[in-house]
Amino acid sequence: MKVKDLEKLENEGTESLPSEERRRFLQFGLSVTGVFLGGTVLSLSSAKDAQGALGGMSPAKKYPYSPHYTMVIRQNRCVDCERCKEACATTNNVPAHGYRTTILEQERDLGSGKKERIFMPVLCNHCNRPPCVRVCPTSATYKDKVTGIVMMDRKRCIGCKTCMAACPYNARYFIETWGVRAIDKCNFCYDTKLKETNGRITACAEACPAKVRVFGDLTDPESRAYKLIHAPEKVVWVLRPETGALPNVFYMND
Amino acid sequence: MKLNDKSAPGLLPFLLLLTVVFFCVGQAVAEEEYDEEAYGPEEPIVFVKPVKAVDFSHKIHTMGAGLECDSCHDELFQMEAGTAEQNDDFTMESLYAGKYCGACHDGDMAFASNKRCTICHIGVKGFERLHSGDEAPADGHGGGH
Repeated sequence: MKVKDLEKLENEGTESLPSEERRRFLQFGLSVTGVFLGGTVLSLSSAKDAQGALGGMSPAKKYPYSPHYTMVIRQNRCVDCERCKEACATTNNVPAHGYRTTILEQERDLGSGKKERIFMPVLCNHCNRPPCVRVCPTSATYKDKVTGIVMMDRKRCIGCKTCMAACPYNARYFIETWGVRAIDKCNFCYDTKLKETNGRITACAEACPAKVRVFGDLTDPESRAYKLIHAPEKVVWVLRPETGALPNVFYMND
Repeated sequence: MKLNDKSAPGLLPFLLLLTVVFFCVGQAVAEEEYDEEAYGPEEPIVFVKPVKAVDFSHKIHTMGAGLECDSCHDELFQMEAGTAEQNDDFTMESLYAGKYCGACHDGDMAFASNKRCTICHIGVKGFERLHSGDEAPADGHGGGH
C-alpha cells in the first residue's frame, strides 16, 4: 500500500486490536530488549524459549561458546577491599593509570536521613554482541572463537580508541607503559591466571576474600556460576541490557 | 497594597516565634554535646586489617546505643586502638564465632556480622576519603580508579 493511500485510511486505534495481536507485539518487544533474565543468557534462544524460562520451564539450552566463560558478581558481598584490583594489576601488568577491573561506589537513600553504601565491581562483560568489536577498524579486538573472551591483539591496535567510546561498560583504557601503546582490557586472565589454572579461575576471583566474584563456565551445569545464575527465586541482572550487547557478567545479591 | 497591609503585621510575630523555636532547638542540641570522657574518642576508629577498611564509631555505640565503656573494654577490645588488629584471629570467622564485634553483632543483640557488610565496611574509597577529607560521593559513580 502506498503512503498516500495509507493516509486516507481511518486510524483504528489500539482498542480494536485483537488481544492476541497485542500480546504478540509485546512479546516481540520483550525479547528484543532482553527483559528476561536471561535476555542475555537466553538471548541466544528464541523468544518462545525465553517465555518458557519466565515460567520456570526451560533454561537456555545452548551457549555459543565452549567453555562459555562467565562471571557472577554477588554485589552485596563486596566491601571494596580492592584486592581484586591489586591481584589483577599484578597478574596482568596493569599500570596505575588504567584498570581492567574496578569498583564503583553508590550511595542509596534509605529514608529518614539514612544511607547505605553499595559497591559494584565492574569489568569487561565479554558480550556476545560486543560493540567494541563491531567498531574496531583493524580487527585488533575480537571474540575468541572458542571461549567467547573479547581479546586484544596489540600489534594490530592503532590506538584510535573507538572501542573505548563504544564500550557500554567503560572497560577499556589506553596503555602507554613499557613500550606498549595500545588498548588494554580484561581478558579473563586468558594468558595469565586462566592458563596457569587450566581455565579454573581468574586472578580477581581468586583474590576476593568475600567470594563476590564467581568465575565459571555456562556450558557446565555443575559449575558454581551456572548454579548461581539458574538458582530458583533469585533476581539476576546485567548492566545496561538496553544496549543489546548481551553481556556475560551477571549480578545478583547473595 | 491591601494585601501587604494585611500580611505584614501577621508575619512579624510568626518570624519571632520561629526564631525562638530555632534558638531552643539549638540549645537542646548543644546540651547533648559529645563528651569524649564519657563516650570515648569522637574520631572514628578505622580498622585496615584484615581488609581495608572498617569504620567504628564510638558515638553510635555509646551515646547512641547507650553502651558503657566496659561493655567492650578490656575484654573484647583493648583500650589502645589497633591492638585487636595485631591478632591473627581478628577475622570475620572469629566474629561469627562470637569474638570481638561478633559478641553483640550476632543477629540477636545487634545485626549479624555476616549481614549488610557495608554498614561497617567503607572500603578503600571510604578510607581514602577519610584521609583526604573529601565529602561522600555526590553522584552515583564515585571513583572510577
